[in-house]
Amino acid sequence: MDAGERVAVVGASGAGKSILLAVANGSVPATAGTVEVLGADPGALSGRALRQLRARVGTVHQHLELVGQLRVVHNVNAGRLAAWPAWRAAWSLLRPQWLPEVLAALTELELADRVWERTDRLSGGQRQRVAVARVLVQRPELVLADEPASALDPVLADRTMTLLAGTGSTLVASLHDPALALRHCTRVVGLAAGRVVLDSPAAGLSLADLSAFYGAPR
Amino acid sequence: MTAVLTPVAAPAVLRRDGVRWAWGLGTLVVLGWSLAGAGLFSGAVVNGAGTRQFGRFAAAALSPATDGAFLGVLASSVLITVAYAALGAALAVGLGAVGAVAVARTTWGRRRLGWALARGALAVPRGLHEAVWGLLLVNLLGLDPWVGVLAIGVPYGAVTAKVFADLLDEVPRGPYDALRATGAGPVPAALYGLLPAASGGLLSYSFYRLECAVRSAVVLGLIGAGGLGYQLSLSFSSLRWPEVWSCVYALSVLCVLAVVAGRAVRRRVADPRPAGDRLRRDPLLTTAVLTTLAAVAWSWWYLAVSPATLVSDRTGDQLRYVLAAAWPPDVDGPLLSAVASAAVDTVQMSVIAIAVATVGAVLLAGVAAHPVRPTVARRLTGAVVRAALLVLRAVPPPVWALVLLFVLLPGILPGALALGVYTLGVLGRLAAEATEELDPRPRAALTALGAGPVAGWLYGALPAATGPVLAYALYRWEVAIRDTVLVGLLGAGGLGALLASRLAVFDWGAVTTVLVALIVLTTAVDLVSARARAALR
Amino acid sequence: MSTRRAVRSGGRVEAQLSRRGFLTATAATAAAAALAACGRTSPVSSPGAAPSSGRGALRLGAIPDQDPEVLQRLYGTVADSMSAALDLDVSYSPVTDYGAAVSLFRTGDLDLVWFGGLTGVQARLQTPGAQPVAQRDIDQDFHSVFVVNTATGLAPADDLTPLAPLRFTYGSETSTSGRLMPAFFLREQGVDPQGFPGGPGFSGSHDATLALVAAGSYQAGVLNEQVWGSRTAAGTVDPAVVQYARTPAFHDYHWLLGPQATQRLGADLAPRLTEWFTGLPAGDPVLELFGADGFVPTEAGNYAQIEQIGRSLGLVS
Repeated sequence: MDAGERVAVVGASGAGKSILLAVANGSVPATAGTVEVLGADPGALSGRALRQLRARVGTVHQHLELVGQLRVVHNVNAGRLAAWPAWRAAWSLLRPQWLPEVLAALTELELADRVWERTDRLSGGQRQRVAVARVLVQRPELVLADEPASALDPVLADRTMTLLAGTGSTLVASLHDPALALRHCTRVVGLAAGRVVLDSPAAGLSLADLSAFYGAPR
Repeated sequence: MTAVLTPVAAPAVLRRDGVRWAWGLGTLVVLGWSLAGAGLFSGAVVNGAGTRQFGRFAAAALSPATDGAFLGVLASSVLITVAYAALGAALAVGLGAVGAVAVARTTWGRRRLGWALARGALAVPRGLHEAVWGLLLVNLLGLDPWVGVLAIGVPYGAVTAKVFADLLDEVPRGPYDALRATGAGPVPAALYGLLPAASGGLLSYSFYRLECAVRSAVVLGLIGAGGLGYQLSLSFSSLRWPEVWSCVYALSVLCVLAVVAGRAVRRRVADPRPAGDRLRRDPLLTTAVLTTLAAVAWSWWYLAVSPATLVSDRTGDQLRYVLAAAWPPDVDGPLLSAVASAAVDTVQMSVIAIAVATVGAVLLAGVAAHPVRPTVARRLTGAVVRAALLVLRAVPPPVWALVLLFVLLPGILPGALALGVYTLGVLGRLAAEATEELDPRPRAALTALGAGPVAGWLYGALPAATGPVLAYALYRWEVAIRDTVLVGLLGAGGLGALLASRLAVFDWGAVTTVLVALIVLTTAVDLVSARARAALR
Repeated sequence: MSTRRAVRSGGRVEAQLSRRGFLTATAATAAAAALAACGRTSPVSSPGAAPSSGRGALRLGAIPDQDPEVLQRLYGTVADSMSAALDLDVSYSPVTDYGAAVSLFRTGDLDLVWFGGLTGVQARLQTPGAQPVAQRDIDQDFHSVFVVNTATGLAPADDLTPLAPLRFTYGSETSTSGRLMPAFFLREQGVDPQGFPGGPGFSGSHDATLALVAAGSYQAGVLNEQVWGSRTAAGTVDPAVVQYARTPAFHDYHWLLGPQATQRLGADLAPRLTEWFTGLPAGDPVLELFGADGFVPTEAGNYAQIEQIGRSLGLVS
């Protein structure tokens, strides 16, 4: 896929969407075939080089994987950890750094008023927006988003997708909502049982095509 | 995108949680006061000239005594210690199971007064250290194996009752209430609705108690109940360090066995084998329980424990003798003021000890935990740190107190640090286990976005581990108060020193007063620590 | 665990059966163990304490404060030698704590105990009818030595007042030579025995006193002259520790016999023991163990001074 593309990965549950994203961010090694992310194979790198590659890839995990005991501001700032030296990361826990950027991201996501809240006190939808804000302050070249809008109401879901798409980076998002996929993505890839069964520009697809796709047997 | 969204203003400043801040500030004040009491801000506390004496102790760690005769003595001592630990822990679990029913909220329902009284009654056996129980029981039972068994079983039983009751109370009540609604009696309903959910925790805790019982059996040896601790105290009183270290290593091996067994059981309980098509018991858990039962039976035989001793006329006579001598408590002015100032020392020692242990445990927990994706170097460092923690807790606090007194000037500091390093050994292990039980995924998510190991630990592990580790630390604070008696018995200050001096002259009235003071102090610390733990949640 | 599985199975017959079998087996094991225990002697209690064993054995105990390790582990020698000579069952029980030994003597768990001067007095006061049977030759002329760290710059002298401003440690709290008599002699010279800066320390043993004074944690201390002599002879004393003063003589260790043993084993037991102890030939292994040339008779009156001092220092009540 090309830089700047916005790809929606669609498919029924268990089709392999999440594992595709995990392979792409290097969390899970590929068992067969080759992987190339931003011109490099995460499986072949280690140490600093791997960290540098990872810094360029932002992920909104399906289960968010936020640190519940930290305040929202720190969970958002965690997006900067690859860029910050350790002392700055430590200092930020005492005096939050990058506050304007964090607040800007949270304001876009309607969450600025909860910036000092402990993350585990937030609702599911609020936590999802924290995870998105983390990616926004990370400013990666590639955004991998696993169901980034599943717990959001339609208005916020649209806004979130706009924000992710508007970072200028390449976006790969697995989505359950076909309408959202068609509105925000340039290309749609369909998976079933771990195989690509559809790869088409979004413009050529109708809502009905995709709905049928979701209904297809696994 | 086009929808009208009301912009929400961010609060301008970071608002800290007031209650937690008050606790944090209070902690710092108390710590400062304790350090001042230990003389840290008023002149020298370090005695550099003593490093040679300390060095002899440390160097002997590399050359423990290994001559055949001594190892033979050690082997039979190990058997006695194991037997005490097994019987003591078994008694504790038995008493705890019965006691848990007596002090669980489930039992008392809305009768809060009854519940509070039952809980309060536990404070008496819990407030006294095993060694104190041992000293008292020697006066009642003489040279009898019951002394060691009861000295472990009674205070442990009280602690176990409290923990078991908490475990039962934490189980969601829905299934139990549903069963009661169908007309089931309270006992069957608890058996089906509460016990299955709590059984994992109960089993894990029972094995944890077994490891503690091994260390307590050694402490009892120090006051003359036989076994490994007795050999250790003999070698210790003539400062034969190589032999002391042999005893410490023997104890370490016992502790490792208990830890490994407990760990295997805990893991299996947390992650049971998938059930087959028919009822099949888990072989590991079955083996563990059967082995434990066999060990208890063997211990009973080996120590030749006779229930008749407990109800013999002689025991009754001695009980009357001691009670007549011990009642009423001594309440004259000089004694009370001595008790008050010793109580202050005890609190200061325990605070310093727990502060040292907590800081150490937080720093070491990450390294001591079994890594998820180990490299060779990482695995090696982990093993070294875990072994060091094991030795810290295998060397009894009185030994630490003496060797630290070589390099520090007299006062409460050597005793406090002795307790501190000993508690670090215990707390470090608990903290490592808490770290291992954390959800690894948030940290993995940080690694996936390129965070380095330090930043990943700071953001991904530390915040999640702080709560459990502080909770453990607060719990150990109460234990540390009791343990100060142990270093005090050997003269390092506090209520323990006062108790030792009163016991040495058989001033039973004063002994009663000091024991009451100890129980009151332990209860007070328990209350404060419970409040602090609640504020942490 | 078995309960949990049985409960989960919904009370299937198979589960109930195996559970019952399990419980039965457990109960049987416990019962067998209880029975087996009856015929066994505990490795930690005093053998012969059971009333069923006829006259019973003479139960030895000791709380030696020098080389306790060697003494305790070789005590079998004393028991065997005494047993052979007096035609008695003699058993030895390990005790490490002064207070415990006194209590065990009172309760009759120990019949014949090697007490220090002060602990002997405590034991006798709590156990009417107890009588001292023998002491070592050196015990009628016992001394303690005050030692100082060389950094204090003190030269040996008889005047104890220069010790008053030093950090000072005694040995064990109820040791006659490590606490009671030194405190008495200090007070005789006008030094408050409890008035050392920061309060006096209690090292717990003579060897610990030496090590702490060598380290300089305490600048001065006091210990049993016999231990000082033997450590000096063996060359294990740190050069930083030197003798400062020697106390006048006092009575110390002795064997104390309890009244219950006399009732059980005959009224002539005390004289027989005294005779055996005093008759031990020079070079006997027992004498070597005790570091003495011989035992001599003793009597309660020898410890009247100790009792009086103990009362005035609040160590005897």
